[in-house]
Amino acid sequence: MSAKVKTMERKGASLAEKIYFIEIFRGMATTFGHFWRNLLDNSKLYVRHYPEVEPEIPVRWRGRHRLTAHEDGTVKCVACFMCQTNCPAGCISIEAGERQDDRAEKMPVKFKIDLLECIYCGYCVEACPLDAIRMDTGIYSVTDYNRESFVLGIDDLLRTPGAFSEEEYKKGGA
Amino acid sequence: MAEMIKLFVNGSEVEVEAGKNLIDAIGAIGIEIPHLCYHPALGADGNCRMCLVGLEEGGPPLVPACKTQAAPGMKVLLNAEHIKKIQHDVLEFQLINHPIDCPVCDQAGECSLQDYYMEYDGQKSRMSEAPVSKSKKLDFGCGVIHDQERCVLCGRCVRFCRQITKTGELGIVNRTDDARVTIFPGRPLDNRYAVNVVDLCPVGAMTSADFRFKQRVWFLKKARGICHGCSKGCNITIDHNREKDQDDLIYRFRPLLNEEINGYFICDEGRLSYKQENENRLTEARRGKTAISLDDAVTTALKEMAKAEKIVLLISPDSSLEQMAAVKSLAEATGAFLSGFSDGYIKKGDGDDYLIQDDKAANRAGLALLAIDSSRENFATALEDAQMLINFNSNLSLSYDSAELEKLIKDKYIIAVTSHDSDFCKMANLAIPAASFTEYRGMIISCDNILQSFDKAIDKNSPPVEISEIAALLGGSLKNSEDQYNALKEVIVSTESFNPDTIPTAGLKLN
Amino acid sequence: MSLLDILLVIIRVLFAAFVPLCFIAVCVWMERRGAGFFQDRAGPNRANIFGFRAAGLVQNLADGAKLFFKEDVISDHIEHKFYFVLAPLIIFFTAIVSFAVVPFADTLVLNGKSYIMQGIPLDLGILWFFALAGFSVYGIILAGWSSTNKYGVLGSLRSTAQVISYEIPMGLAVVSLLVVYGTINLNEMAQFQGQLLFGFIPMWGIVLQPIGFVIFLIAAFAETNRTPFDLAEGESEIVAGFHVEYSAMKFAIFFMGEYVALFVSSAIIITLYFGGYQIPFLATDTLISYAKPVAFLLMVALPVIMYFFAGWIRKNNVSHYPRKNDPRVYEANIYIKCFWGLVIVLEIILFAILLFKSGGAAAHIFVVLLQVCTFLLKVTMMIFVYIWVRWTLPRFRYDQLQKLGWQVLLPLALLNIFITSAFVVALS
Repeated sequence: MSAKVKTMERKGASLAEKIYFIEIFRGMATTFGHFWRNLLDNSKLYVRHYPEVEPEIPVRWRGRHRLTAHEDGTVKCVACFMCQTNCPAGCISIEAGERQDDRAEKMPVKFKIDLLECIYCGYCVEACPLDAIRMDTGIYSVTDYNRESFVLGIDDLLRTPGAFSEEEYKKGGA
Repeated sequence: MAEMIKLFVNGSEVEVEAGKNLIDAIGAIGIEIPHLCYHPALGADGNCRMCLVGLEEGGPPLVPACKTQAAPGMKVLLNAEHIKKIQHDVLEFQLINHPIDCPVCDQAGECSLQDYYMEYDGQKSRMSEAPVSKSKKLDFGCGVIHDQERCVLCGRCVRFCRQITKTGELGIVNRTDDARVTIFPGRPLDNRYAVNVVDLCPVGAMTSADFRFKQRVWFLKKARGICHGCSKGCNITIDHNREKDQDDLIYRFRPLLNEEINGYFICDEGRLSYKQENENRLTEARRGKTAISLDDAVTTALKEMAKAEKIVLLISPDSSLEQMAAVKSLAEATGAFLSGFSDGYIKKGDGDDYLIQDDKAANRAGLALLAIDSSRENFATALEDAQMLINFNSNLSLSYDSAELEKLIKDKYIIAVTSHDSDFCKMANLAIPAASFTEYRGMIISCDNILQSFDKAIDKNSPPVEISEIAALLGGSLKNSEDQYNALKEVIVSTESFNPDTIPTAGLKLN
Repeated sequence: MSLLDILLVIIRVLFAAFVPLCFIAVCVWMERRGAGFFQDRAGPNRANIFGFRAAGLVQNLADGAKLFFKEDVISDHIEHKFYFVLAPLIIFFTAIVSFAVVPFADTLVLNGKSYIMQGIPLDLGILWFFALAGFSVYGIILAGWSSTNKYGVLGSLRSTAQVISYEIPMGLAVVSLLVVYGTINLNEMAQFQGQLLFGFIPMWGIVLQPIGFVIFLIAAFAETNRTPFDLAEGESEIVAGFHVEYSAMKFAIFFMGEYVALFVSSAIIITLYFGGYQIPFLATDTLISYAKPVAFLLMVALPVIMYFFAGWIRKNNVSHYPRKNDPRVYEANIYIKCFWGLVIVLEIILFAILLFKSGGAAAHIFVVLLQVCTFLLKVTMMIFVYIWVRWTLPRFRYDQLQKLGWQVLLPLALLNIFITSAFVVALS
């Protein structure tokens, strides 16, 4: 397999470019064009008025995590530790225990995610063999006043609903 | 050295030991033949068919490697297409009813079937029928839990109970895909080596109730160690891990092969002795009930030692030779009486003729080697006159009941240098934490007079100080390990020259 | 000394001292909002007092308050605490004082007496500026050295070498200018530029000395440590350069000093090359004699300008997202009313001018005010150029900087002197 090589034209060799001045003025004309357009009509700014206008979260956006559950409310996770093994930040810590319902023999007793350490890479979601952990809550802003509240327990993770319907999520390529 | 013979593997000539079967002989030079049912300690059974290899000339074209003796000039084929196909097909048969439990299976990561699948099979199941369902969780007793679905019916566990423990609790019942390993009704596993079947099981069918779901095995760090549960000195693998924001904890002991001492197995009691290393540890020095720093504790001890006219030192028979030498030097420096009294460590009649010994002290031979007196009378008389007792980690409650113990140490200044927070430690005037046997490097001598060394395995968050170091701080003349080795060199007599750095892993037999 | 004399001295000094200070706020505001608009974003526009954001100016108050109430840290490792504190003061002081010689209007003649409209009535002119601009580098050196910080020292050394390198072409560019003007007095220079070349081109420095202007402009950028010559604080390599150890008000003084220097530098460029306070085609004498028509024209122009300005405010001071009872519309209405009120006041003043005798004291004062406004407008535009350049050009590499200074600007400046002298000799 050969890599595609695209030869880029090397700029800055002509006399006009070497003098600098013409190029400087061209650059300044460009920036002034932007300035003038925005000054005359600031609705043309390429900005989102963030706290008031919230961003639209796409389905594949990796937001805060959640644990999914079966229809009867039991946790899907079987504590296989794949997410913990895969986590490059080491932010997941699980404690496994015997499971009482008949779905499997193992389940998490504790499932902690330290959001301060999490890098939102989504490897946990990819590693999960049972689709038990997802990052589809659509929560993009995680803020609080103390460190403790950033460590999510199993209840926090189970409580949060997903932001999308199952069809949308599946269509997102997950 | 055993006799060497020459044979051919995949066309290239190799030299292997004679008198072994092909799996062991070729395995010893680093060429692996896949096998499930064969185990060196249990002999060949030939039921799994994973080890089928080709022979180019002479004899049948296809033989089970476990049943075939290595012979000179043999031409073994391992990588031919038809051999690969056989391995692939055998594995597919093995996996027909095998549940995909790997995510929840404790064996995952050290499972032969898993490894072989990745290496020899690697295809999706072609089964369209529902797999045969069997019991997923049977309590076999003795802390062994059995999953019949995962079982590959290699029979190792059955053979272990028949050949090694000779108790024969396990058997395979029914035929074909309904065959399963089980116990006789109402007669669970009942022997003191039962958990070895968990190690023997090549798949996750046998799991240890104690270790079940505690850790995934790939998180565990492995270190070599020596069990201090009795004087046998069984070699073990210490599986430990430091979880996020926690201390370095041991999760299990597993037997480590040492042909001279324990072979492939250890007893259940020794296996579970890891718990003592994690629990009830003394972490801070204490004066009475107040926690103090180690420096303060040593200063206090020195002050009190200066006051006391007669001191008795008591050393644990579990201590390493270095520690014994260091404490002995302390006794010589302070003129104290040193005792190795530990009658309580001996449990009469507890031992058997296999691995378990009556004497639960790991290094009693060391006491004898260093000529440390350990008679009950001498210890009692010495203590009567003394004002002070320094106990280096010896468990006196094994020898005395609490009333006797209280009477014994009445009106005396007690310093307990101890790894565990015991009742005696609570009675002591001064308690100093010490490292336990997984946390230091040392040498011990087993009941068979075999000298073994072991390394530090566990690195605690706040590492406790070793007894030999405390002895040096209190005034012992052997300040470092070099001093201790020099002192030990004089007393250790063996056929080979003694060098602490080059003690063979199998141990050094002393005269 | 009459009361009028004293009053005028006070006015002049106050003007020279406070206008640069007021312009700090304007500069910072222009820098931030300008940067925003150059980069297609909004810039600071959220800070408000009772919902009034004053187009982002309130942010300056918030920042000022923050810096003022911050803990004033002097790290323990700093040995020379006196020099450490002195350094920002030097920079701030030299920047403000160097404005004192810049004339912001033509000489005011009242009752037959003339009053020079600059902070300190000195004849040193441009030399004063050079002296103080050179002196301000001491502040940077002191700051970097007394910080006991390698980044600080590196930053200050860069700055020193840079200022020394660029002061030479700057001085040489001014030499050729002096040859043309024949004076070092800035007010006389400004008066000179009130003439017309060939009867229709304003005789500004930029027209007479285009090469000199370019050299001076580049050197002025370097002197003020502005992009593309702000290597002294190159964040990516030396963190913040000479002011890395400074925080709170001491940092704020550096910051303000920098913007005052920016203002003064713009004022000097304006005075040397853009006719200073002169309105093109309307020299002081012409203005005095045509005061009434000019005032009348302004009376007509002001409401027209205000009309469009109001439209601009109404269009832009709204929330660009759905919002009930948009408070920004209300805010815009208040602004528009305020500005209309201001226009009415100006109209009354202009109307009063019309009533007074032409060529009298009122006309003189009117002309001075007009020239002050012109001067400030020109300076603001020059500051905008500074900002514009900052958000367009990337920073120089250090060797490129020195190469440009010594190998390009210095020979060019020398050549310019020869050409200018030849022309002047030939023409006289």
